[in-house]
Amino acid sequence: MMDEKGLSLRETVWSQLDRKAGAIIELTIRQLRNRISTWVVLGVGFLLMILLLAFYVDSVREGFESIDNDGDSVDMDGDGYPLGQEIKYGHSDWDSNQFPGSSEFIQVSAIGYNDQVRAISGNYTWSGAGTLNPIWIDSNYVGQQWSGIINWFDVDNTSCPLGTVYEDWWPQYFGYGCHYENNEYFVYGKFTASGEIVVPDGSEMLWGYNTELFYVEPDPKSMYINEDDIDWNGILLQKSQGFDDDGDCLRYNWILDSEDGSFYYDNDGEPFDNDKNDNGIICDVLWLLDDDLDEIESIEPDSNVDEDPDDERYMGESSHRTFIIGVGKMAFVIMIGLFLPLFLALGLVRDETENGTLHYLLSKPIHRGEFILYRLLGYLAVTGSYVFMLSLFVGILTAILGPGEGIIRLSDIPVWLGIGFATFLVLAAYGALFNTLGLISPKYGVYISIVFGVWEFVMGILTIANPNWTLSAISINHWALQIIDSVVLLAWPDTLQLQQMASAFNLDTGLDIFWKPPAHTLGTANPTVAILVSIFVLSTFTILMLGIGQSVFKNREIM
Amino acid sequence: MSDLNKKAPSILLEGVSKWYGEVIGINDISLAIEGGVTGILGSNGAGKSTIFKLLMGRLKPSQGTIRLFGIDPWKSTAPYRRIGYVSESERMYDWMTSLDFISTLARLHGMSREEAIKRSKHVLDFVGLEDVHHKKIGKYSKGMRQRVKIAHALVHDPDLIILDEPLHGCDPIARTSIMNVVRELGSQGKTVLISSHILEEIERITEQIVILHNGKLLAIGNLHAIRDLLDQHPHRILIKCENPRDLAKLFITSGPIYGVRFPDVGQLEIQTNNLSAAHDIIPSTLVESGQKITSIENPDDNLDSLIGYLLGGINDG
Repeated sequence: MMDEKGLSLRETVWSQLDRKAGAIIELTIRQLRNRISTWVVLGVGFLLMILLLAFYVDSVREGFESIDNDGDSVDMDGDGYPLGQEIKYGHSDWDSNQFPGSSEFIQVSAIGYNDQVRAISGNYTWSGAGTLNPIWIDSNYVGQQWSGIINWFDVDNTSCPLGTVYEDWWPQYFGYGCHYENNEYFVYGKFTASGEIVVPDGSEMLWGYNTELFYVEPDPKSMYINEDDIDWNGILLQKSQGFDDDGDCLRYNWILDSEDGSFYYDNDGEPFDNDKNDNGIICDVLWLLDDDLDEIESIEPDSNVDEDPDDERYMGESSHRTFIIGVGKMAFVIMIGLFLPLFLALGLVRDETENGTLHYLLSKPIHRGEFILYRLLGYLAVTGSYVFMLSLFVGILTAILGPGEGIIRLSDIPVWLGIGFATFLVLAAYGALFNTLGLISPKYGVYISIVFGVWEFVMGILTIANPNWTLSAISINHWALQIIDSVVLLAWPDTLQLQQMASAFNLDTGLDIFWKPPAHTLGTANPTVAILVSIFVLSTFTILMLGIGQSVFKNREIM
Repeated sequence: MSDLNKKAPSILLEGVSKWYGEVIGINDISLAIEGGVTGILGSNGAGKSTIFKLLMGRLKPSQGTIRLFGIDPWKSTAPYRRIGYVSESERMYDWMTSLDFISTLARLHGMSREEAIKRSKHVLDFVGLEDVHHKKIGKYSKGMRQRVKIAHALVHDPDLIILDEPLHGCDPIARTSIMNVVRELGSQGKTVLISSHILEEIERITEQIVILHNGKLLAIGNLHAIRDLLDQHPHRILIKCENPRDLAKLFITSGPIYGVRFPDVGQLEIQTNNLSAAHDIIPSTLVESGQKITSIENPDDNLDSLIGYLLGGINDG
């Protein structure tokens, strides 16, 4: 029926093994391709990426509106002068009558409560209690807010009670006034008038004049945005850097005086300290290096120094990285890494049993253990190339759109490769695990896998929050996330610095949420060590699961 | 891999039992099969599928030893290089074309892609599916699917072919075609093991049979020798015709017929204790009667009757 039996002698055992592997891998790929659920899962993953990219374009690429990081561009009292400008002139931003160039009261003299002379004549601005016989009253005097200014319209409508003041009746509040029948007034408050004033015994009155108003051009609010940029000359060994460009650290004493000694908080909400970093230099920034003296490990500014940096300049880069790290961790490792195996690996062998087609494969000269391995390889070929293409797609788009001088950000490529690689290892580990669970319990394997998936999801989130937390290491994606953290540090060594800058200078980049320095460096602080440790853990787990699956399957009777 | 014992019999079972929990699948079966076509007969649940699953390494024997070319199939897959297996399962990869299906599986024997395709075309031609290589299996008729399964089992030119109920559910044309294929394989000197629960099917293919009953080996040997014994025992033949009474008159005078009955309207049952002699006279008698005959049935010429006879019990039909 056929030509001389089988296979040529030149063909080695290995080439036959290759062919068997190739055939099963190819069959697995084609089976997965023929299932609608495969396309649904892959499609959902793709849509997720499109959504994230839209988000990226919208927020990262559209540029950053420069943020007033220290909040001094506001004009709370509505006098047209932003807080930063008011501070320069020693005013608060709570009183619309206090503003740069507003008139100030200069005291000339006063009658104390026990002075002998109780009467005084003149044209002044007054503050105190007394009976006024006026020649002229400045009924438009407004003085300063909250300071007891007499409202002369009210005074004309208020008759003084009968009897002697401070004996028969008392003024109700500071700012009170009333008129007598003889065109004299009793006043208790602030006012500007010319005439004679008699101060009752035990009361006080002080007087002086207001300086002329002078016009100060209000600064545009934009002047108080990015007005105190980060001053860093790039020399790593110079620890003390930074300068208080807007003077709100250097002017500390002035601010303290004008606020009547009230406690003053800096822009981090901490008590003002012009040498917060305790390096003996006021109003500077302390840049500390790591042990290798090549990376900035921490940045400690004094109060209000470099506190309003140019967001565009620092946010663009940081946010771009945050996006990539966040997408890599959440979308790739945690979501895609979990859902693809759940849908595609669980039934790799189990479905063949249920479909009654397993015997076609097992009646061939191929070991059951080999069979599981080749099935997993087929699944990995599909999911791995999907992840590779998806990361390439998102990677290239963000590398073109992202901030930077060149047309494409070359430094992103190793990070995306790292993300793809980490996801691939997760796909292999989950794939081996879920396939084995599906074999051990064809009926309940899916539920066990879902419970496990929930655990993994929670541990993944916890790992992102704190990779040093021991419990989170009892999960698969913990180790994949470690790979991403490590690759980020290798590809973008200044990420640590950007993260420190964000927390030191009020930059809301999110980098510190999604990225932490790798934890499992075995004490070397070397990210390569963390990568190797993680690869070892993930591949050991995968091989172990594969082995368990193989031994379960080898001893399984197939009805 | 190359330690396949060329001298060992293709199939050897020694005291093999398999039980599923409390239920016995097969009980203490010893059997050696080498060369030619052997039919395994047994009604449903007799243990045919259990034996096949044991042979294919899907089940582990509870007792006894199984050897395919001298090798334990539970421990090694090496024997399958020389074995083609057609399962009773009707499931296939419906989304594949037959050429795809067979060549993909052929590659599991270590063939290169080109070689696999070449051989697959060859076996598809052999089973008479030369025109439909590129049609999806899902669109095949039952008989075509069965033939694809057989082709798949032949693609690596095996020495032993195991077919589990290959004729089940096939139309008469497919049935004939498959029978021809099996006979052809036998005549090529291959060892073929084919199971069925229909006596007539096996009878048309081979004389060498194994009869299973309730998991036990009931008979082994030449089918015709067994049949001849059976022929000497009372048999009934049911004829559906227009006028049973007239037909009965013709039969009652014939030698081998010793009784007639009229079980229903338009039905005549004749009774004989020499089936072959009866078969000699029936055609001529029917022609002589000139009646229109709707059908002739032989209710006792089936596996159950044969088993009943072999068991020595009463065959109440």
